[in-house]
Amino acid sequence: MSSADPISKLVNAFRKLPGIGERTATRLAFFVLNEPEETSRELAEALLEVRQTVGLCKWCCNLTDGDECKICTDARRKRSVICVVERTQDLRAVERTGDFRGLYHVLHGLISPLDGVGPDDIHLRELLTRVGERKKEDQVEEIIAATSPSVDGEATALYLQRLLEPMGLKVTRIASGVPIGGDLEYTDRVTLSRALAQRRQM
Amino acid sequence: MQLEAIRLSDFRNFEHVEVVPHERFNILTGANGQGKTNFLEALYLLSAVKSFRSQATNANLIRFGADEALLEARIERGGHERKVRLEIGPRGKKIYLNDQGVRNIADFFGTLNVVVFGPDDIGVLKGSPSRRRDFIDRAIFNAHPAFGTESMHYDAVLKNRNALLKEPKIDGSLLSVYDDQFIEWGARILRRRLDFTEHFRPVLERTFHAIFSPDYHAGLTYEPTWMEGTIDVERALEQDSFVETLLAESLRRTDDEERQRGYTVVGPHRDDLVATLNGREVRAFASQGQTRAFILAMKIAEITYLEERYHFAPILLLDDVSSELDRERNRHLFDFLKNRQSGQVFITTTHRDHILLDDDLRVFQVREGNICSI
Repeated sequence: MSSADPISKLVNAFRKLPGIGERTATRLAFFVLNEPEETSRELAEALLEVRQTVGLCKWCCNLTDGDECKICTDARRKRSVICVVERTQDLRAVERTGDFRGLYHVLHGLISPLDGVGPDDIHLRELLTRVGERKKEDQVEEIIAATSPSVDGEATALYLQRLLEPMGLKVTRIASGVPIGGDLEYTDRVTLSRALAQRRQM
Repeated sequence: MQLEAIRLSDFRNFEHVEVVPHERFNILTGANGQGKTNFLEALYLLSAVKSFRSQATNANLIRFGADEALLEARIERGGHERKVRLEIGPRGKKIYLNDQGVRNIADFFGTLNVVVFGPDDIGVLKGSPSRRRDFIDRAIFNAHPAFGTESMHYDAVLKNRNALLKEPKIDGSLLSVYDDQFIEWGARILRRRLDFTEHFRPVLERTFHAIFSPDYHAGLTYEPTWMEGTIDVERALEQDSFVETLLAESLRRTDDEERQRGYTVVGPHRDDLVATLNGREVRAFASQGQTRAFILAMKIAEITYLEERYHFAPILLLDDVSSELDRERNRHLFDFLKNRQSGQVFITTTHRDHILLDDDLRVFQVREGNICSI
């Protein structure tokens, strides 16, 4: 089959998706072919629509199909606390806990000079502007740095602290330690040693 | 710690070999190029999940024509028996502990500990400071597997900081973030190394006396090369903040220089270890024979140190050791090994009669990728 034929074209398109190899791509392509035309149309339209309508929320940079996202416009959410995450997936993870009722800010990346990613390459200025502009209105008090405990996540969190504390805000960091329901014995050593170092008074 | 059995499939020049070693001494004899060092390499791989040969790619480790190499071992430590399996494919390695895939490699380290001495190790004392830092880091890692993650973390912070220093306009707030991280992790590395050197020095001195010569006094000093003057080791180990303050001050002092050069000029990644014999530097004054003896004493002292302080003894791998030492030192070495009450040792040699051991041993003939007990 030449690469120009439509089936190969579809297989190659599927292969660009994360976690999809040649075999799965082929399976998907033939699945689409065997389904009624309606399935293809739905898929194609959904793909295009998502491209054309989804953008970033003007406040928190969360993905949304409008100007503002559903969380930012939700009047029941507490506006004094902002949870800063690296990616939309992380926002979803925090949302799933059901325990956080504040607002978010999605950075879409972490600072990493080694990879050429500076503070201006992620959506961090938007956070500063937002906090600066809406501080009085929303009475923002606390920023939670919920980036992962990696070198880049840690650096980004510390950088946030450097910029936000002088603005009179409380900057907190999510705790890291032993998973609930987990066995101490099977907790990896680095996590355990950190959990020990950051132990708290009971 | 003891290797009870090992099986290698499609690894280097071994198609399929199984070895049940002796709990004390194992002598692998054979001509050059038959696979003796490959066998030691397999043990090292099961310990560190990487080779001691720097040019070893995954493809090189797999037997020519095969798809994948498989290394399996049964290991006893502190009364527990564990099964380790390492699969090496062209694109990666996968390690299993008791038939379960290991997700976080840091959890695996410490299952099997080895100390290796080979012809290449002369470089530890004659080569660049990085070789000496590697020695000290590996010894700490054997005792504290979490150290591996700590030093990786330090490296990552350092690389990011250096990248930042190369930027035409440096964001001061961001640099201060990396300063803090650099100080935190750097101090941790430095304290670990100082602590090791302090406890290791007397063991090394004793070992050198016992194996080689009571007339020579072996010394070892950790040298933070970027410091002005010497470090107050006692205070550094007692007071957590002391080393951190030291690093912070040094960063401040070199601020202009590092911005000019575009990299960090202070910190444990620039340190050295200075070895002395009767107060004279080994690197500059010792003979080739004395240098070899010194390195071997360091390796054996590492085992004794771990035994005394942490109550476990890594397995000693001696690659072609007798060609490295003169006859008298060779005799002293084997007397010393025999006098240890326990501890498993693997020794490769081209000539069985160079190995001055007669009891508590098993001899294996290595020929063309086969290993047979004889």
